[in-house]
Amino acid sequence: MSAPEVYSIAQAPITCHTFNADRSQLALSLNDNNINIYTKQGKEWQVTETLSEHDKAITSVDWAPRTNCIVTASQDRNAYVWSQSLDPNTGRMVWKPTLVLLRINRAATFVRWSPNEDKFAVASGARTIAICSFDPENNWWVARHLKKPIRSTVLSVDWHPNNVLLAAGSADMKARVFSAYIKDVDKRPAPTVWGEKLPFNTVCGEYASLTGGWVHAVGFSPSGDTLAFASHDSSITIVYPGGPMVYTIRLQSLPHVTLTWTAEDTLVAAGHDCQPIVYSGGPGGWSLAGTLDDSATKTGATRVGTVGRLNTAAFNAFRNADTRGHTSETVTDTELHTIHQNTITSVRPHEVGAGGSVARVSTSGVDGKLVIWNVSAVSVGGLAGRLGAMRM
Amino acid sequence: MSHTVDIPPELKSSLRKFRFAKRSQGHAALVVKIDRNELIMKEEEQYDNISIEELAEELPENSPRYVVLSYELKHSDGRTSFPLVLVNWAPTTCEIKMMTLHASALIEFQNTADVSKVIEVRDGPDGLTKETIDAKLLS
Repeated sequence: MSAPEVYSIAQAPITCHTFNADRSQLALSLNDNNINIYTKQGKEWQVTETLSEHDKAITSVDWAPRTNCIVTASQDRNAYVWSQSLDPNTGRMVWKPTLVLLRINRAATFVRWSPNEDKFAVASGARTIAICSFDPENNWWVARHLKKPIRSTVLSVDWHPNNVLLAAGSADMKARVFSAYIKDVDKRPAPTVWGEKLPFNTVCGEYASLTGGWVHAVGFSPSGDTLAFASHDSSITIVYPGGPMVYTIRLQSLPHVTLTWTAEDTLVAAGHDCQPIVYSGGPGGWSLAGTLDDSATKTGATRVGTVGRLNTAAFNAFRNADTRGHTSETVTDTELHTIHQNTITSVRPHEVGAGGSVARVSTSGVDGKLVIWNVSAVSVGGLAGRLGAMRM
Repeated sequence: MSHTVDIPPELKSSLRKFRFAKRSQGHAALVVKIDRNELIMKEEEQYDNISIEELAEELPENSPRYVVLSYELKHSDGRTSFPLVLVNWAPTTCEIKMMTLHASALIEFQNTADVSKVIEVRDGPDGLTKETIDAKLLS
């Protein structure tokens, strides 16, 4: 089961993807206003339904495993919650949308259900995060805003396991941890390393990477005691609030835009490098462990430590022309040596293994491919030579 | 002026009794909600000798209400009066249909309760404080 499963879904970029609870169905958006629901039939994914309600491109989607509700966020400043119900006319299960008025005046950029699936957080370009909870008395979703002290677009959010704390990465180059406690929905949470007695919109911590840069992705570890974020200055930062200890790993390659924790001491990040990279460590320090894409390291004549994009035959042809004076080599191979041919925009946990840690992750990217990787298949290969040059 | 929500006679007598009740100290409040299924107003709760902060806690955060408030107002010259104020409690997180219904019935309710001063509270518990009410009444 070591080889990654590669699915070419479409010739269009996959903006976002999410699986249902038993991984038999997949919901994703192909850079347009609709969500396509795919069902696994044999070895391929076939479209079984299309959810159309948004007026502009969908930016993010999330499928709640227990309640089986899908939430979608779009550039049209709205979010819809989709739930399945029996259609009386045809007798089939259909997805019905419920509009959620977020009261934001810019696009929604990212959405995630909370661990108990009774709230969801929507990041937006309006410098706010809308925390939405269901009000049964009025039968509608109420949105409350986390505003201060966010100064720019919020690019990604992640919930803490206690259903109250929320991490947010923003274009103002900061990663923050907020309290999103909603009065009638949450019970008073137990104290955590992030603080205790936290009313709505309390900032439990604000972090920036060494040289700054938009924070593209944030993630709490499975226990919630550690925060990791990836920023545009090509670094991954891991924060232990107890110390506080902050470890920054600087990459020699292009920035990561998405990350997910697989265990308390391992995380997988992916981005403009077109391959998922594994990092591991603990309170004593963190380091790069390797890549999940061994096709990137197998190709013989590649330079050690160079990035997928810089390893193409096209680049080699120009390099040969420059250093060795070779010319007129017609470039026939424009394919990258990695499985993904373009930026990976989303990495999500796919399968939980025996020990409780994530065994497989799924990635989707701008090339229209969906790939499911085995997390333990880490190849050190081409990245080994660069380990010594890392900063801690 | 079209008529959207009914005001039942029990509510009218309740309002009259609230208006003429003898007050010695503290604020008293009568909270009225609209039943959207039957389209009539109902008295939800009455509070006696309650502080404004406590009242703000009791009011629902996501539903509009009319609050007839008998406010203990201390004037700068030492007098204490008990003016009747209508608080239009309408947080922005409320559902839109409910907000529209609530807004359409406000004038009629105000006339029935015979209250001249109306205070709009649109931002939830943070907007209902002793200071804001004092400022509105003493200006």
